[in-house]
Amino acid sequence: MPRFIVPHPGHFPALKEIIEVKEAENLKEVEGVFMGVMGGSLEVMGSGRGVLHAPLIEEIREQTEYAHQHGIKMNIAMNSTCLGGHHLTFEGYKMFEWYFSELNKAGVDGVIVAEPYLVELLRDFPMKTTISVLSYVDAPQRAKFFEDLGADVITVDTNINRHFELLKGIVKAVNCDVRVIVNEGCLYRCPFRYFHYNLASHLSSLNQPRSPLFAPDYYFDKCINIRLRNPTQIIKSPWIRPEDIKEYEAIGITCFKLSGRTKAVNWIIECMRSYSHRTFKGNLLEILDCPQMLRDMFYIENEKLEGSIEQWKRCKKICNECGYCDKRTQEVLTYLK
Amino acid sequence: MKKEISEGRRKLEEELRNLVGNIFVPEAKVFGMVCGCVGFAVDLRGLQYDDVDVFREKISAIMEEISKSVGVEPEFVYARNLPGSEEVVTLTARELCERCKREFAESKAPPRPDIVVLKKKRWK
Repeated sequence: MPRFIVPHPGHFPALKEIIEVKEAENLKEVEGVFMGVMGGSLEVMGSGRGVLHAPLIEEIREQTEYAHQHGIKMNIAMNSTCLGGHHLTFEGYKMFEWYFSELNKAGVDGVIVAEPYLVELLRDFPMKTTISVLSYVDAPQRAKFFEDLGADVITVDTNINRHFELLKGIVKAVNCDVRVIVNEGCLYRCPFRYFHYNLASHLSSLNQPRSPLFAPDYYFDKCINIRLRNPTQIIKSPWIRPEDIKEYEAIGITCFKLSGRTKAVNWIIECMRSYSHRTFKGNLLEILDCPQMLRDMFYIENEKLEGSIEQWKRCKKICNECGYCDKRTQEVLTYLK
Repeated sequence: MKKEISEGRRKLEEELRNLVGNIFVPEAKVFGMVCGCVGFAVDLRGLQYDDVDVFREKISAIMEEISKSVGVEPEFVYARNLPGSEEVVTLTARELCERCKREFAESKAPPRPDIVVLKKKRWK
Protein backbone atom coordinates (compact mmCIF):
# COMPACT_ATOMS: atom_id res chain seq x y z
CA MET A 1 0.00 0.00 0.00
CA PRO A 2 1.35 3.49 -0.80
CA ARG A 3 2.38 5.59 2.16
CA PHE A 4 2.28 9.35 2.54
CA ILE A 5 4.32 11.50 4.84
CA VAL A 6 2.81 14.94 5.36
CA PRO A 7 4.25 18.24 6.56
CA HIS A 8 3.67 19.41 10.11
CA PRO A 9 4.18 23.14 10.75
CA GLY A 10 5.53 22.32 14.21
CA HIS A 11 2.98 23.55 16.77
CA PHE A 12 1.10 20.88 18.71
CA PRO A 13 -2.44 22.08 17.85
CA ALA A 14 -1.60 21.70 14.15
CA LEU A 15 -0.52 18.10 14.67
CA LYS A 16 -3.78 17.36 16.48
CA GLU A 17 -5.80 18.88 13.67
CA ILE A 18 -3.95 16.97 10.94
CA ILE A 19 -4.46 13.70 12.83
CA GLU A 20 -8.10 14.52 13.55
CA VAL A 21 -8.82 14.91 9.81
CA LYS A 22 -6.79 11.83 8.90
CA GLU A 23 -8.84 9.74 11.35
CA ALA A 24 -12.23 11.32 10.65
CA GLU A 25 -11.83 10.84 6.90
CA ASN A 26 -10.07 7.50 7.17
CA LEU A 27 -7.01 8.55 5.19
CA LYS A 28 -5.26 5.27 5.82
CA GLU A 29 -2.28 5.91 3.57
CA VAL A 30 -1.03 8.79 5.73
CA GLU A 31 1.77 7.10 7.62
CA GLY A 32 3.62 9.93 9.27
CA VAL A 33 4.43 13.60 9.63
CA PHE A 34 7.66 15.54 9.53
CA MET A 35 8.64 18.82 11.11
CA GLY A 36 11.70 20.99 11.13
CA VAL A 37 13.85 22.03 14.04
CA MET A 38 16.08 25.07 14.16
CA GLY A 39 18.65 27.06 16.06
CA GLY A 40 16.53 26.92 19.20
CA SER A 41 17.42 23.27 19.39
CA LEU A 42 20.85 23.32 17.85
CA GLU A 43 23.13 26.30 17.61
CA VAL A 44 24.51 25.54 14.19
CA MET A 45 21.81 23.41 12.63
CA GLY A 46 19.36 25.11 10.35
CA SER A 47 17.06 23.47 7.88
CA GLY A 48 16.70 23.31 4.14
CA ARG A 49 13.50 25.29 4.36
CA GLY A 50 12.32 28.06 6.62
CA VAL A 51 11.34 26.87 10.07
CA LEU A 52 8.63 28.68 11.99
CA HIS A 53 8.79 26.81 15.27
CA ALA A 54 11.64 25.64 17.46
CA PRO A 55 10.39 22.74 19.56
CA LEU A 56 12.60 21.71 22.44
CA ILE A 57 13.18 18.03 23.15
CA GLU A 58 10.39 17.87 25.73
CA GLU A 59 7.86 19.18 23.24
CA ILE A 60 9.12 16.80 20.57
CA ARG A 61 8.63 13.95 23.05
CA GLU A 62 5.05 15.02 23.85
CA GLN A 63 4.13 15.41 20.20
CA THR A 64 5.74 12.09 19.30
CA GLU A 65 3.82 10.30 22.04
CA TYR A 66 0.59 11.83 20.80
CA ALA A 67 1.38 10.86 17.20
CA HIS A 68 2.16 7.29 18.27
CA GLN A 69 -1.11 7.03 20.18
CA HIS A 70 -2.77 7.66 16.83
CA GLY A 71 -0.56 5.36 14.80
CA ILE A 72 1.39 8.18 13.16
CA LYS A 73 5.17 8.24 12.82
CA MET A 74 7.16 11.32 13.74
CA ASN A 75 10.06 12.43 11.59
CA ILE A 76 12.39 15.32 12.26
CA ALA A 77 13.87 17.23 9.33
CA MET A 78 17.46 18.32 9.91
CA ASN A 79 18.30 18.76 6.26
CA SER A 80 20.54 21.76 6.34
CA THR A 81 22.84 21.74 3.32
CA CYS A 82 25.58 23.72 5.04
CA LEU A 83 26.79 23.34 8.60
CA GLY A 84 29.83 25.54 8.12
CA GLY A 85 32.12 22.61 8.93
CA HIS A 86 31.00 22.67 12.55
CA HIS A 87 29.78 19.08 12.43
CA LEU A 88 33.33 17.95 11.69
CA THR A 89 34.77 19.52 14.84
CA PHE A 90 34.92 17.51 18.03
CA GLU A 91 32.38 19.82 19.68
CA GLY A 92 30.09 19.50 16.67
CA TYR A 93 30.34 15.73 16.67
CA LYS A 94 29.51 15.58 20.39
CA MET A 95 26.61 17.96 19.95
CA PHE A 96 25.01 16.06 17.07
CA GLU A 97 25.54 12.76 18.79
CA TRP A 98 23.87 14.14 21.91
CA TYR A 99 20.98 15.61 19.95
CA PHE A 100 20.32 12.41 17.99
CA SER A 101 20.44 10.50 21.26
CA GLU A 102 17.83 12.87 22.76
CA LEU A 103 15.59 12.51 19.70
CA ASN A 104 15.88 8.77 20.00
CA LYS A 105 14.97 8.87 23.69
CA ALA A 106 11.99 11.08 22.78
CA GLY A 107 10.69 8.24 20.62
CA VAL A 108 11.21 9.93 17.25
CA ASP A 109 10.82 7.44 14.39
CA GLY A 110 13.04 8.98 11.78
CA VAL A 111 15.45 11.78 10.99
CA ILE A 112 15.73 13.44 7.59
CA VAL A 113 19.26 14.61 6.79
CA ALA A 114 21.15 15.85 3.74
CA GLU A 115 24.73 15.79 5.04
CA PRO A 116 26.51 12.42 4.44
CA TYR A 117 28.43 12.62 7.72
CA LEU A 118 25.17 12.83 9.66
CA VAL A 119 23.90 9.80 7.74
CA GLU A 120 26.83 7.82 9.08
CA LEU A 121 26.39 9.21 12.58
CA LEU A 122 22.76 8.08 12.58
CA ARG A 123 23.84 4.46 12.09
CA ASP A 124 24.35 4.34 15.85
CA PHE A 125 20.65 4.91 16.46
CA PRO A 126 17.58 2.81 15.70
CA MET A 127 15.72 5.75 14.16
CA LYS A 128 15.17 5.53 10.42
CA THR A 129 17.54 7.62 8.38
CA THR A 130 15.90 9.39 5.47
CA ILE A 131 18.04 11.03 2.83
CA SER A 132 16.70 14.48 2.10
CA VAL A 133 15.76 15.70 -1.34
CA LEU A 134 18.60 18.15 -0.68
CA SER A 135 21.15 15.37 -1.06
CA TYR A 136 20.23 15.59 -4.75
CA VAL A 137 20.06 11.85 -5.40
CA ASP A 138 19.52 11.79 -9.15
CA ALA A 139 21.11 8.52 -10.26
CA PRO A 140 21.35 4.86 -9.18
CA GLN A 141 25.04 5.33 -8.38
CA ARG A 142 24.37 8.12 -5.92
CA ALA A 143 21.44 6.25 -4.39
CA LYS A 144 23.71 3.27 -3.80
CA PHE A 145 26.31 5.50 -2.12
CA PHE A 146 23.73 6.75 0.33
CA GLU A 147 22.32 3.32 0.96
CA ASP A 148 25.81 2.09 1.78
CA LEU A 149 26.25 5.04 4.14
CA GLY A 150 23.17 3.92 6.07
CA ALA A 151 20.04 5.25 4.39
CA ASP A 152 16.72 3.56 5.14
CA VAL A 153 14.76 5.85 2.84
CA ILE A 154 16.03 7.92 -0.08
CA THR A 155 14.10 10.97 -1.21
CA VAL A 156 15.12 11.45 -4.80
CA ASP A 157 15.97 14.79 -6.34
CA THR A 158 12.71 16.25 -7.63
CA ASN A 159 14.53 17.08 -10.88
CA ILE A 160 14.17 13.42 -11.87
CA ASN A 161 10.49 13.09 -10.94
CA ARG A 162 9.67 12.78 -14.63
CA HIS A 163 12.74 10.71 -15.62
CA PHE A 164 11.13 7.31 -15.33
CA GLU A 165 14.12 5.32 -16.56
CA LEU A 166 16.29 6.84 -13.84
CA LEU A 167 13.62 6.27 -11.21
CA LYS A 168 13.29 2.64 -12.25
CA GLY A 169 17.07 2.31 -12.14
CA ILE A 170 17.22 3.70 -8.61
CA VAL A 171 14.44 1.42 -7.39
CA LYS A 172 16.35 -1.52 -8.84
CA ALA A 173 19.74 -0.43 -7.49
CA VAL A 174 18.81 -0.15 -3.81
CA ASN A 175 16.97 -2.21 -1.25
CA CYS A 176 15.86 0.74 0.85
CA ASP A 177 12.65 2.70 0.25
CA VAL A 178 12.64 5.28 -2.52
CA ARG A 179 10.48 8.34 -1.92
CA VAL A 180 9.31 11.11 -4.24
CA ILE A 181 8.05 14.56 -3.30
CA VAL A 182 4.80 15.14 -5.12
CA ASN A 183 3.86 18.79 -4.80
CA GLU A 184 7.08 20.74 -4.97
CA GLY A 185 6.82 23.27 -7.76
CA CYS A 186 10.46 24.32 -8.06
CA LEU A 187 11.96 25.19 -11.44
CA TYR A 188 13.14 22.17 -13.39
CA ARG A 189 16.97 22.12 -13.23
CA CYS A 190 16.85 25.35 -11.25
CA PRO A 191 20.17 27.22 -11.38
CA PHE A 192 19.56 28.67 -7.92
CA ARG A 193 18.67 25.46 -6.11
CA TYR A 194 21.96 24.70 -4.33
CA PHE A 195 22.56 28.32 -3.42
CA HIS A 196 19.00 28.95 -2.26
CA TYR A 197 19.00 25.99 0.09
CA ASN A 198 22.44 26.93 1.43
CA LEU A 199 21.04 30.37 2.19
CA ALA A 200 17.94 28.89 3.84
CA SER A 201 20.17 26.58 5.88
CA HIS A 202 22.14 29.51 7.25
CA LEU A 203 19.19 31.82 7.81
CA SER A 204 17.28 29.17 9.76
CA SER A 205 20.25 28.57 12.08
CA LEU A 206 22.26 30.84 14.31
CA ASN A 207 25.16 30.55 11.87
CA GLN A 208 24.17 33.73 10.01
CA PRO A 209 25.88 36.56 8.13
CA ARG A 210 27.17 39.30 10.43
CA SER A 211 25.40 42.15 8.65
CA PRO A 212 21.81 42.26 7.38
CA LEU A 213 21.13 40.98 3.87
CA PHE A 214 20.18 43.66 1.36
CA ALA A 215 18.45 41.03 -0.82
CA PRO A 216 17.08 38.54 1.70
CA ASP A 217 15.54 36.29 -0.91
CA TYR A 218 17.26 37.00 -4.20
CA TYR A 219 16.73 33.42 -5.41
CA PHE A 220 13.02 33.33 -4.65
CA ASP A 221 12.43 36.67 -6.37
CA LYS A 222 14.34 35.50 -9.45
CA CYS A 223 12.39 32.24 -9.48
CA ILE A 224 9.03 34.02 -9.48
CA ASN A 225 10.13 36.52 -12.13
CA ILE A 226 11.33 33.76 -14.46
CA ARG A 227 7.92 32.08 -14.32
CA LEU A 228 5.98 35.28 -14.77
CA ARG A 229 7.92 35.94 -17.95
CA ASN A 230 7.80 32.33 -19.10
CA PRO A 231 4.87 30.36 -17.63
CA THR A 232 5.96 27.20 -19.46
CA GLN A 233 8.48 26.85 -16.64
CA ILE A 234 5.54 26.16 -14.32
CA ILE A 235 4.40 23.24 -16.49
CA LYS A 236 7.97 21.92 -16.74
CA SER A 237 8.34 21.86 -12.94
CA PRO A 238 8.49 18.26 -11.77
CA TRP A 239 5.29 18.20 -9.68
CA ILE A 240 3.14 15.11 -9.72
CA ARG A 241 -0.63 15.38 -10.04
CA PRO A 242 -2.63 13.39 -7.44
CA GLU A 243 -4.12 11.40 -10.34
CA ASP A 244 -0.65 10.35 -11.55
CA ILE A 245 0.56 8.74 -8.31
CA LYS A 246 -0.40 5.37 -9.77
CA GLU A 247 2.27 5.71 -12.47
CA TYR A 248 4.92 5.78 -9.74
CA GLU A 249 3.41 2.87 -7.89
CA ALA A 250 3.63 0.95 -11.14
CA ILE A 251 7.43 1.29 -11.13
CA GLY A 252 7.78 0.26 -7.49
CA ILE A 253 7.68 3.60 -5.68
CA THR A 254 5.31 3.46 -2.74
CA CYS A 255 6.59 6.29 -0.52
CA PHE A 256 5.30 9.76 -1.24
CA LYS A 257 6.01 13.00 0.53
CA LEU A 258 4.00 16.21 0.50
CA SER A 259 5.98 19.37 0.94
CA GLY A 260 4.77 22.58 2.59
CA ARG A 261 5.76 22.66 6.24
CA THR A 262 5.84 26.47 6.26
CA LYS A 263 2.26 26.71 5.04
CA ALA A 264 -1.01 27.14 6.95
CA VAL A 265 -2.37 23.97 8.54
CA ASN A 266 -5.62 24.03 6.55
CA TRP A 267 -3.66 24.24 3.30
CA ILE A 268 -1.66 21.19 4.36
CA ILE A 269 -4.85 19.33 5.22
CA GLU A 270 -6.36 20.16 1.81
CA CYS A 271 -3.24 18.78 0.07
CA MET A 272 -3.33 15.67 2.25
CA ARG A 273 -6.94 15.09 1.18
CA SER A 274 -6.27 15.62 -2.52
CA TYR A 275 -3.31 13.27 -2.68
CA SER A 276 -4.97 10.66 -0.48
CA HIS A 277 -8.04 10.66 -2.70
CA ARG A 278 -5.83 10.81 -5.83
CA THR A 279 -7.96 13.56 -7.29
CA PHE A 280 -8.07 17.30 -7.42
CA LYS A 281 -10.38 19.61 -9.29
CA GLY A 282 -9.39 23.17 -10.01
CA ASN A 283 -6.23 25.24 -10.17
CA LEU A 284 -3.28 22.89 -9.72
CA LEU A 285 -1.26 25.76 -8.27
CA GLU A 286 -3.53 25.60 -5.21
CA ILE A 287 -1.81 22.41 -4.06
CA LEU A 288 1.78 23.13 -5.10
CA ASP A 289 4.20 24.24 -2.44
CA CYS A 290 7.02 26.45 -3.61
CA PRO A 291 5.54 29.05 -5.94
CA GLN A 292 2.35 29.52 -3.93
CA MET A 293 1.94 33.16 -4.87
CA LEU A 294 1.55 32.16 -8.52
CA ARG A 295 -1.90 30.77 -7.80
CA ASP A 296 -3.12 34.34 -7.78
CA MET A 297 -1.60 35.04 -11.18
CA PHE A 298 -2.26 31.85 -13.18
CA TYR A 299 -4.91 29.14 -13.39
CA ILE A 300 -3.81 25.67 -14.41
CA GLU A 301 -6.80 23.44 -14.99
CA ASN A 302 -5.74 20.16 -13.46
CA GLU A 303 -8.29 18.06 -15.35
CA LYS A 304 -6.85 19.22 -18.68
CA LEU A 305 -3.46 17.78 -17.75
CA GLU A 306 -4.86 14.26 -17.82
CA GLY A 307 -2.59 12.10 -19.96
CA SER A 308 0.41 14.46 -20.00
CA ILE A 309 2.28 12.03 -17.80
CA GLU A 310 2.52 9.64 -20.77
CA GLN A 311 4.67 12.16 -22.64
CA TRP A 312 6.70 13.11 -19.57
CA LYS A 313 7.42 9.46 -18.80
CA ARG A 314 9.25 9.01 -22.10
CA CYS A 315 10.44 12.61 -22.58
CA LYS A 316 14.16 13.07 -23.31
CA LYS A 317 14.10 16.55 -21.75
CA ILE A 318 15.66 18.25 -24.73
CA CYS A 319 13.18 21.07 -24.52
CA ASN A 320 14.33 23.15 -27.49
CA GLU A 321 13.65 20.21 -29.81
CA CYS A 322 10.41 19.09 -28.20
CA GLY A 323 8.06 21.93 -27.37
CA TYR A 324 5.45 19.69 -25.71
CA CYS A 325 5.30 21.73 -22.50
CA ASP A 326 4.99 24.96 -24.48
CA LYS A 327 2.00 23.51 -26.27
CA ARG A 328 0.44 22.22 -23.04
CA THR A 329 0.91 25.62 -21.44
CA GLN A 330 -1.19 27.19 -24.18
CA GLU A 331 -3.91 24.63 -23.57
CA VAL A 332 -4.11 24.45 -19.78
CA LEU A 333 -2.84 27.74 -18.38
CA THR A 334 -4.81 30.96 -18.25
CA TYR A 335 -4.01 34.31 -16.72
CA LEU A 336 -6.21 35.31 -13.82
CA LYS A 337 -7.79 38.72 -14.07
CA MET B 1 -6.78 58.14 5.51
CA LYS B 2 -3.17 59.45 5.86
CA LYS B 3 -4.10 61.11 9.10
CA GLU B 4 -5.82 57.99 10.47
CA ILE B 5 -2.85 55.76 9.70
CA SER B 6 -0.39 58.12 11.38
CA GLU B 7 -2.71 58.63 14.31
CA GLY B 8 -3.21 54.86 14.58
CA ARG B 9 0.53 54.24 14.68
CA ARG B 10 0.99 56.86 17.38
CA LYS B 11 -1.94 55.61 19.42
CA LEU B 12 -0.86 51.98 19.32
CA GLU B 13 2.67 52.87 20.37
CA GLU B 14 1.36 54.98 23.24
CA GLU B 15 -1.11 52.34 24.45
CA LEU B 16 1.49 49.57 24.27
CA ARG B 17 3.96 51.72 26.19
CA ASN B 18 1.33 52.25 28.89
CA LEU B 19 0.62 48.53 29.05
CA VAL B 20 4.07 47.00 28.63
CA GLY B 21 6.90 49.53 28.67
CA ASN B 22 9.37 50.55 26.02
CA ILE B 23 7.75 49.63 22.73
CA PHE B 24 8.69 51.11 19.36
CA VAL B 25 6.31 51.12 16.38
CA PRO B 26 8.40 52.20 13.38
CA GLU B 27 5.78 51.56 10.70
CA ALA B 28 2.03 51.26 10.20
CA LYS B 29 0.37 50.49 6.89
CA VAL B 30 -2.86 49.63 5.16
CA PHE B 31 -2.45 46.89 2.57
CA GLY B 32 -4.39 45.10 -0.14
CA MET B 33 -3.46 41.62 -1.30
CA VAL B 34 -3.93 39.96 -4.66
CA CYS B 35 -6.19 37.31 -3.12
CA GLY B 36 -8.67 39.96 -1.98
CA CYS B 37 -7.65 40.41 1.65
CA VAL B 38 -7.17 43.92 2.97
CA GLY B 39 -5.62 44.83 6.27
CA PHE B 40 -3.92 47.14 8.67
CA ALA B 41 -0.49 46.11 9.96
CA VAL B 42 2.14 47.53 12.27
CA ASP B 43 5.77 46.54 12.60
CA LEU B 44 7.01 46.80 16.12
CA ARG B 45 9.95 46.17 18.40
CA GLY B 46 10.09 45.48 22.12
CA LEU B 47 6.91 43.40 22.42
CA GLN B 48 7.17 39.78 23.51
CA TYR B 49 4.85 36.80 23.35
CA ASP B 50 4.14 36.93 27.11
CA ASP B 51 2.99 40.55 26.81
CA VAL B 52 0.59 39.60 24.05
CA ASP B 53 -0.66 36.66 26.06
CA VAL B 54 -1.34 38.78 29.16
CA PHE B 55 -2.85 41.76 27.33
CA ARG B 56 -4.47 39.78 24.53
CA GLU B 57 -7.91 41.39 24.80
CA LYS B 58 -6.63 44.92 25.24
CA ILE B 59 -4.20 44.68 22.34
CA SER B 60 -6.88 43.18 20.15
CA ALA B 61 -9.33 45.94 21.09
CA ILE B 62 -6.82 48.67 20.20
CA MET B 63 -6.03 47.02 16.88
CA GLU B 64 -9.72 46.64 16.11
CA GLU B 65 -10.39 50.30 16.83
CA ILE B 66 -7.51 51.55 14.66
CA SER B 67 -8.35 49.09 11.91
CA LYS B 68 -11.93 50.37 11.74
CA SER B 69 -10.67 53.95 11.65
CA VAL B 70 -8.74 53.20 8.45
CA GLY B 71 -11.68 51.38 6.87
CA VAL B 72 -10.62 47.78 7.47
CA GLU B 73 -13.07 45.42 9.15
CA PRO B 74 -10.95 43.55 11.74
CA GLU B 75 -12.22 40.02 11.14
CA PHE B 76 -8.95 38.33 11.98
CA VAL B 77 -6.46 39.94 14.34
CA TYR B 78 -3.11 38.34 14.96
CA ALA B 79 0.44 38.81 16.15
CA ARG B 80 3.41 37.30 14.34
CA ASN B 81 6.50 36.36 16.25
CA LEU B 82 10.01 35.95 15.00
CA PRO B 83 10.28 32.17 14.44
CA GLY B 84 12.02 30.44 17.29
CA SER B 85 11.96 33.47 19.57
CA GLU B 86 9.68 35.32 21.96
CA GLU B 87 9.84 38.55 19.95
CA VAL B 88 6.60 39.77 18.40
CA VAL B 89 7.39 41.73 15.24
CA THR B 90 4.01 42.45 13.64
CA LEU B 91 0.40 43.03 14.65
CA THR B 92 -2.19 42.71 11.88
CA ALA B 93 -5.93 43.20 11.54
CA ARG B 94 -7.25 41.66 8.36
CA GLU B 95 -10.49 41.53 6.42
CA LEU B 96 -10.23 38.12 4.81
CA CYS B 97 -11.02 36.94 1.31
CA GLU B 98 -12.97 33.68 0.94
CA ARG B 99 -9.87 31.54 0.43
CA CYS B 100 -7.98 32.99 3.38
CA LYS B 101 -11.05 32.49 5.57
CA ARG B 102 -10.72 28.80 4.76
CA GLU B 103 -6.95 28.52 4.99
CA PHE B 104 -6.21 31.00 7.73
CA ALA B 105 -9.18 31.26 10.00
CA GLU B 106 -11.12 28.01 9.87
CA SER B 107 -8.58 25.75 11.55
CA LYS B 108 -8.84 25.20 15.28
CA ALA B 109 -5.06 25.45 15.49
CA PRO B 110 -3.30 28.70 14.71
CA PRO B 111 -2.63 28.53 10.96
CA ARG B 112 1.14 28.62 11.48
CA PRO B 113 3.33 28.33 14.56
CA ASP B 114 4.57 31.93 14.29
CA ILE B 115 1.03 33.32 14.40
CA VAL B 116 -0.81 34.14 17.64
CA VAL B 117 -4.50 34.60 16.94
CA LEU B 118 -5.98 37.43 19.01
CA LYS B 119 -9.44 37.58 17.50
CA LYS B 120 -11.29 35.58 14.94
CA LYS B 121 -14.74 36.35 13.60
CA ARG B 122 -17.08 33.35 13.42
CA TRP B 123 -18.41 33.03 9.90
CA LYS B 124 -20.32 29.80 10.21
